[in-house]
Amino acid sequence: MTEQALDGADAAELTELACKSIEYVYERGWTDGLPVVPPTRARADEFLATTSRPADEVIGRLDHLKREVTVELAAINAIMAGCLPEHFPVVLAAWDALMLERAVVGGGWQSTSGPAPLIVVNGPVRQRLGFNSTGGVFGPGFRANATVARAIGLIVRNALGVVPHVLEQATQGIPGRWAQCIAENEEESPWEPLSVDGGVTAGCDAVSTTLLRTSEYIDNRHTDDPEKVLADFADTLSRTGSWIFRNASAGVVFCPEHAQLLAKAGMSKEDVRTWLVERCGRPKADFHRVGKSLNAQGRRGDHEDAELEGFDPMFSEDSPKHLPIVVAGARNAGISMVVRLFSGTGWSGISARVEKPRNG
Amino acid sequence: MFDHILDPTGQSQRTAVQERAVARRLPSLAGARVGLLDNTKKNAAPLLAELGRLLEREHGATVTIQRTKHAFAFPVDDPLLKEIAAVSDVVVTGVGDCGSCSASAAADGIAFERAGLPTAVICSDAFEVTARAMADVHGDAEFEFLLTPHPVAVLNPDQVKARAKELLPVVVARVTEQASR
Repeated sequence: MTEQALDGADAAELTELACKSIEYVYERGWTDGLPVVPPTRARADEFLATTSRPADEVIGRLDHLKREVTVELAAINAIMAGCLPEHFPVVLAAWDALMLERAVVGGGWQSTSGPAPLIVVNGPVRQRLGFNSTGGVFGPGFRANATVARAIGLIVRNALGVVPHVLEQATQGIPGRWAQCIAENEEESPWEPLSVDGGVTAGCDAVSTTLLRTSEYIDNRHTDDPEKVLADFADTLSRTGSWIFRNASAGVVFCPEHAQLLAKAGMSKEDVRTWLVERCGRPKADFHRVGKSLNAQGRRGDHEDAELEGFDPMFSEDSPKHLPIVVAGARNAGISMVVRLFSGTGWSGISARVEKPRNG
Repeated sequence: MFDHILDPTGQSQRTAVQERAVARRLPSLAGARVGLLDNTKKNAAPLLAELGRLLEREHGATVTIQRTKHAFAFPVDDPLLKEIAAVSDVVVTGVGDCGSCSASAAADGIAFERAGLPTAVICSDAFEVTARAMADVHGDAEFEFLLTPHPVAVLNPDQVKARAKELLPVVVARVTEQASR
């Protein structure tokens, strides 16, 4: 039936049916709370045609929950999330990158900390599919960013069966859960993209991801002294509230203005990381004050006999895995983001390639 | 009407087999060998150790083994299960006190019961729903675990002892024929 052939009554009826089909998906318990696109066979085949991988290939499993994810299940959930077929290779790459995270194949999705992935897209795919890398990069407003992140959340909910209040036990969960997919602003970054740290050649389409516990802004439009700016980052990075183990990991999503200020002062991305790794941490007495001092076994707690002299460094090592650095956002202000990594051992350090479009 | 809408869970074709996991209970704990399995969560090891002491002192049992799980998020692995089963007549395990470990504690209890060992699983009452869901995943939706008031992690040593004392009668009832009398 063509659009022209529909009279007003037919069109109204079809719209009503579309609404009912959305309600049907709600009734089955398959949505994240927002309406989804009802997935059909024809639509799924369009998605599956964008990848060389077989529909029944298992791309993730949680044996303890007796669940697995196939390429087809990923496609069905990506449809529901509102993806276009051409977004699907990015969803698959994001999923592949995520499966390299130790916490994800552990009990991470069930955790009281309620983590969610930060997905970072690099390469020409950003422009090709309209991923936002500039103003308001943490969203919303851009279909590619919004739907790729949401697809991952729906896969976890539906295919892995980790449903809130049941097997998902987040105490509060993190703001922006299943909504954090950013493209790196490679055009205005003075440094190599994150995907290069993840082992993929610059200029190639790649996705990197790690689980986050939250994000916190650093607004510093007050000085052009690079060390003072970085000291502002170190202060936020080092707060005790986010520490639960001996060390902690965190990333920084620098805005172009901060990144360029640091680069202009001659600092490479590695220099910035080293500067922060050397300074982030807290005097041991600060941890004692909040009941999180370190005992001889390396566990934090309210230890009465804790050492009060000395300094606990935040990062266990100086590497992109423990302190990944990304540049994203508009070049209109000195406002950057510290992102808290869920895992004490940091990001996997491996980016996943995005499969090239299959033309023809 | 909407049968053409695809199932995003992959579960519609599967029927989960449910089978109660209930080992034979002991007539009494006198002379019984007790295995303790803690899941690394804060206060789990001292709580189980105190329960072990009470089972020895007040019920004539003997603690033969206390082990710590290799990964709290996952159900007990087979070698560890066999190691404990080899020297135990009953098992006490826990404490389910987080999202993944409470779920796994329920799975552990089911695994030990299926291996023939009456098992008391201790779980914080804040995680009852997730433990119940995991019991269902592992084929015994009605598996009985023991709930203790949340939180457990912040209890001081005296409070841990008091908690063990509170739990003692339900642990004993769980693994002996007492409850069904």
